[in-house]
Amino acid sequence: MQTNRTLPARMLPNRSRTSVLVFLLPPLLLYGAAVLFPILQSLFLSFFSWNGISEMEFVGLDNYVRMFIADDIFWRAFLNALAYLAICLVLQLGGALVVASLLTSLTRGRELIKTLYLLPAVISTVAIAFLFVRIYSIEPVGLLNQLLHWIGLGSLERPWLSDVNTVLAAVSAPEGWRFTGLYMLIIYAALIAVPKDLEEAAVLDGAGRWTLFAKIRFPYIRPVWITTTIMATTYGLRGFDIPYLMTNGGPGQSSELLTTYMYKTAFTSTDFGYASTISVFIVIECLAAVGLILFLLKRKADA
Amino acid sequence: MKNLLRAAAAAVAALALTACGGGSSTDPSNVSPAGEIKPRKISWLLSRPADGAVINIMKKLAEDYAREHPGFELNLITTPDRPSYIQKLETLAAANKLPELFDTDATPFAQQLAKQGKMMDAEKLLKSLDVYEDYRPGALDYQRFDDGSLYMIPFQFELEFIWYNKALLEKAGVAVPASLDDIPAMCTALRQAGITPIAIDGQDQWPLERYIAYQPFREAGPEFVQKLKKGEAKFADPAGQKTVNWMAELGKSKCFQDGFSAQGYSDAQNQFTSGQAAMYNIGTWELPSLATEKLNPAVRDQIDFFTLPTTAGSVTAANEFVSPSGIGMAVNAKTYDPLVSDFLKFALDKYPAEYAATGALSPTTDVETAVPANATPLYQKALDQAKDLGEKQAMPWDTQLDPTTNGRLQQELVLLVQGNITPEQFTATMDNTIAQNAPKFFK
Repeated sequence: MQTNRTLPARMLPNRSRTSVLVFLLPPLLLYGAAVLFPILQSLFLSFFSWNGISEMEFVGLDNYVRMFIADDIFWRAFLNALAYLAICLVLQLGGALVVASLLTSLTRGRELIKTLYLLPAVISTVAIAFLFVRIYSIEPVGLLNQLLHWIGLGSLERPWLSDVNTVLAAVSAPEGWRFTGLYMLIIYAALIAVPKDLEEAAVLDGAGRWTLFAKIRFPYIRPVWITTTIMATTYGLRGFDIPYLMTNGGPGQSSELLTTYMYKTAFTSTDFGYASTISVFIVIECLAAVGLILFLLKRKADA
Repeated sequence: MKNLLRAAAAAVAALALTACGGGSSTDPSNVSPAGEIKPRKISWLLSRPADGAVINIMKKLAEDYAREHPGFELNLITTPDRPSYIQKLETLAAANKLPELFDTDATPFAQQLAKQGKMMDAEKLLKSLDVYEDYRPGALDYQRFDDGSLYMIPFQFELEFIWYNKALLEKAGVAVPASLDDIPAMCTALRQAGITPIAIDGQDQWPLERYIAYQPFREAGPEFVQKLKKGEAKFADPAGQKTVNWMAELGKSKCFQDGFSAQGYSDAQNQFTSGQAAMYNIGTWELPSLATEKLNPAVRDQIDFFTLPTTAGSVTAANEFVSPSGIGMAVNAKTYDPLVSDFLKFALDKYPAEYAATGALSPTTDVETAVPANATPLYQKALDQAKDLGEKQAMPWDTQLDPTTNGRLQQELVLLVQGNITPEQFTATMDNTIAQNAPKFFK
């Protein structure tokens, strides 16, 4: 240790290294208490059958067996969660990229448009949920159905939140819409940092708009893209509030996500053991998703 | 790091074990504890409207009591939204941190608490305070568990009716249904006249769950759901099949407004009070908005109600229907002492008169409800129904089933009524769900 000290470390005298550790310790402990401890507690509880007031009964892997084999709602909720994630990602990342790209070619009114797009991100979730319940409503007729009627697509009018075929997309859209502006800001900041001379050289070489984007701009913003993808994915996998508030997972299990199902299992069914099992699955699923994204994008960058 | 993990695991285990231990220190049947009254702050965890009559009156009574007993304070913590409330209650029960008084329905969860000796025996308590005989039998029965034991004290008494708009029924050329089985045909006629037959709050789920309780109550009496919840009766049985098919019929006849599953309490009420929907199933707690001059003048004179129709061969009578006494108040056995006892004596004695003065039905029979000055004749008509009630009452199923079955039933019911699943699929799913979950709760 003493001999191959790296440069930054050598810049700190011994005493101040200790003080850095002292300052790092409290947040680490806080993190341990607020994040790691509950995860471990869930892991522990997942081996028990416990309704909160009964005696805790050790059931081994029964909860896991039930989750993977015997629980039809679990798999339904898992697939719903993946669809929810896909819709959120398309709206958030795809939408953000398109808007940010268009913004860079705009010369006036950029600030106004940026603010308008960011606005949903600062509105409270509950307000957004109620807003969209109104928008999707059919009796009294809501904005979406009214618009469809006006443009002559009256046959598409429907109760979006009661139709088992549309409800999942209908609850995913507000979440996607809400954060598009935020990711747009991040990607926009990355896009305007692309050196102008690089772009001009490419244009002189005869690159079209698409080639310019695919060969120059996108590779340049890839690190930012990775970060935003990880952020959006983890947020998407943890999505809970808007579906819970808008439909409570219904009708049936059509908009049930793993998170809402876990919440209900814990706090409505008071099956804390099984709910912990589902939460352990969610933690693993999030870690796996981040690992997969890093792996895929890193391999691409290396290639 | 290894040591840290081991320490964490030990801490988890310790925490988990302390959480589930700990019984009560007081005997739940010792309703008149000896000792001195030491005023202190007590809490009531409740699920009632924040500025409703019950809370306002109890606040006032607590202030009166505090004047004679300095240092006493009643801390009212209300969560009107029922699902959130239940979650709060269950979490506090799990942590063994229930306050002196708390609200609960006669649910299987509450019965477990009672079995563990965590709640005072309310029958003994009311008898010791010499008020037991004042209560309406129906109000107490609503609070009882299946074995007849009583652990909750009612603060309300309500009757549930089907309110209807005379003009709309006339326009569609239909009469008030004589039998539950007439309702689907009635809906078809109303729809043909361009009228929404029934306005329902689908978001809160319990209103739709009321409907599935009706047919079995008429066909097989209140015992059906008591057996069903334990798996001793099935949806596949005749009474079960009758209600499942009837619910599917209601859906097919488009009885409920389009997209009802996403519509809330006030949406449904607005549809009825604005004259768009012909029928609305709700209790006397809505009398102030349905039977006073507050109601939209255009529909005010058109509104009337009928009680739950019977069916051919019905085993329950026309004057037996849903008559809940609302969520009840349980008394925590662990914290029960001379002070709590004395305060309850003071409050329960004075409560009925104050409550009846607000125009509501008291859970007791010793007071007369004051009809408000702006009431329509319908108000008195509704109150009069309470004078002639049968012995049986239809229990709302959401207070009867175990929570997992209840949640699944609410979900599947929407699918059944929307026509997304067949009655056969519904029957199979629900019987299966009950078989899986009931044994854990009713062992």
